[in-house]
Amino acid sequence: MLQKKRIHPLPAAGAAVFALALAAAPGFASVYTVHVLSVAMISYLCVLSVYVLLGLCGQNSFAQAGLWGVGAYLAGNVLLKTPGGSAAAFLAAVGGTALVAFLLGFAFFRLRQYYFTFASIGLMTILNGIFMNWEAFSGGAVGMKGIPAFSLFGWTASTEQSKFYVIFAVCLAATALILLLFRSALGRSFMAIRDNEMTADSMGINSLLTKSIAFAISGALCGAAGALYASLSGYLSYQSFTYNQSTIYLIMIMIGGTMSPVGAIIGTCVITLLQEGFRSLQDYMQLIYGLGVIILMIFQPEGILGGGRALYERLAKRREKTEAGSV
Amino acid sequence: MNALRSEERRPKLVLSDVCKSFGGVTAAQEICLEIYGGEVLGLIGPNGAGKTTLINLITGVYRASRGEMIFKGQSITRQPTYRRAKAGIGRTFQHPHLLDRCDVLTNIIMGSDMAARKRTGAKPELERELPEILACAGLEHIRLHDPVSKLSYGQQKLLEVVRVLLSHPDILLLDEPAAGLNNRETQYVADLIRYAVQRDIGVLLIEHSMELVMSICDRITVLNFGHQIATGTPAEIQNNEEVIRAYLGGGSDDAED
Repeated sequence: MLQKKRIHPLPAAGAAVFALALAAAPGFASVYTVHVLSVAMISYLCVLSVYVLLGLCGQNSFAQAGLWGVGAYLAGNVLLKTPGGSAAAFLAAVGGTALVAFLLGFAFFRLRQYYFTFASIGLMTILNGIFMNWEAFSGGAVGMKGIPAFSLFGWTASTEQSKFYVIFAVCLAATALILLLFRSALGRSFMAIRDNEMTADSMGINSLLTKSIAFAISGALCGAAGALYASLSGYLSYQSFTYNQSTIYLIMIMIGGTMSPVGAIIGTCVITLLQEGFRSLQDYMQLIYGLGVIILMIFQPEGILGGGRALYERLAKRREKTEAGSV
Repeated sequence: MNALRSEERRPKLVLSDVCKSFGGVTAAQEICLEIYGGEVLGLIGPNGAGKTTLINLITGVYRASRGEMIFKGQSITRQPTYRRAKAGIGRTFQHPHLLDRCDVLTNIIMGSDMAARKRTGAKPELERELPEILACAGLEHIRLHDPVSKLSYGQQKLLEVVRVLLSHPDILLLDEPAAGLNNRETQYVADLIRYAVQRDIGVLLIEHSMELVMSICDRITVLNFGHQIATGTPAEIQNNEEVIRAYLGGGSDDAED
């Protein structure tokens, strides 16, 4: 009766090939390319956080870059001011950002629908203001310098390649956890809230608490991304954690597709390729994003992934038909 | 039906003097109801009589202006909706409220998720229960991995009842489960109600199909303009002068609201 969902061979193989190719990239790519890939994977974690919040739970936040910043500065503080080391910094960033997000969620999710989105814009502005002005925490406008690279049990990720693999491992683990979440009762309660909050209520789901948990999980992902970014770049500036950056994460998931982490991967790749491939057009980038999103929302609101799925299903149906015809 | 109601049996839900008004409009006026486990209480009345309002009051979508609601011995009058649901008040909606971006199976599992959420210790046995309930609903052949949007309207309404039954409610509030359904599907609704009754679930049934109401209900309450004008067995209700005047004998066939 409860047969497992059939795994589609083509997308599964595609995902495996993509992961292997990415894992192999440091073997042949230039140091610069490896660095770009590392930054892209950090973005992916933030986009994954948007997937959890928007794709699974239906809540839209413009504060994700702010949470990313909270994670980055928390990790930076632990690394620079305590003897805790990388593991402690990472855990502090993940746990601390999740806690901050949970508390903010618990306060703000009393606002329903798009009022939360408006509140998140305010939140983003406040967080950015804190990063710029709270010198004891963030170094203020000067920023935070000299953050050491990842190290664990005496091993230090000193090269771009080794940093890449640390980030790659975190991305794999995060993706696996989010896929588990998708199949869990908690994941289903997120989807219930996304699709119909009244139903969620009638199914005994405490929507305020559940949304806050979704925000906390997205905070944990942003926190992880922040810790990785602090150690990768060694320097933090409030100018990285802006409203604009939050918007880019949203654009990434919308272009990729909000229905699966695969959408987050596609969106991150597309935008990173655009940014790197058209460096000369940097001044027009915002315009290109904006137009791209508008065009996509008109013709394929489920993003590139949605388009791909529709095409795949159509082909599968045609194959079934021809197979049936040939018998 | 097998009306097991006896004097020493305690009702699962008691409403006493429950009132609700919206501005100047009285939607519920001093409603007194009892729902026992294993019985079907019909709730009938013309459109706008306050039937759905009553379900929304019991589930906590609306807060009662006055009165008291006791569920399994505890007051729920001031509890939020999700807590009442978790305590065992299951409902369906007049128009099916399914999770339309999820597949059929996810929608179904949502019900047993809720049973697990109650932490009663009783483990939901989806593998054993589901085939039985789906067979009752005539849905044994649906494809569980299809999106729910591929189901017909009737199938969607039946699926919603399946979902709420999987959550093991103590009482079940059905808001016009047969509206818009064909004869065979209406029969499935009756089967599902019998399934609930066998499991000692108290059913409150709002329905315009008099055939279904008269055949399956143990007792019937009639509402008119928020007032409870009669409560009794189907035979008593059919012969009640005031009910005939207000609703049954009106001659006009009620359209669905």
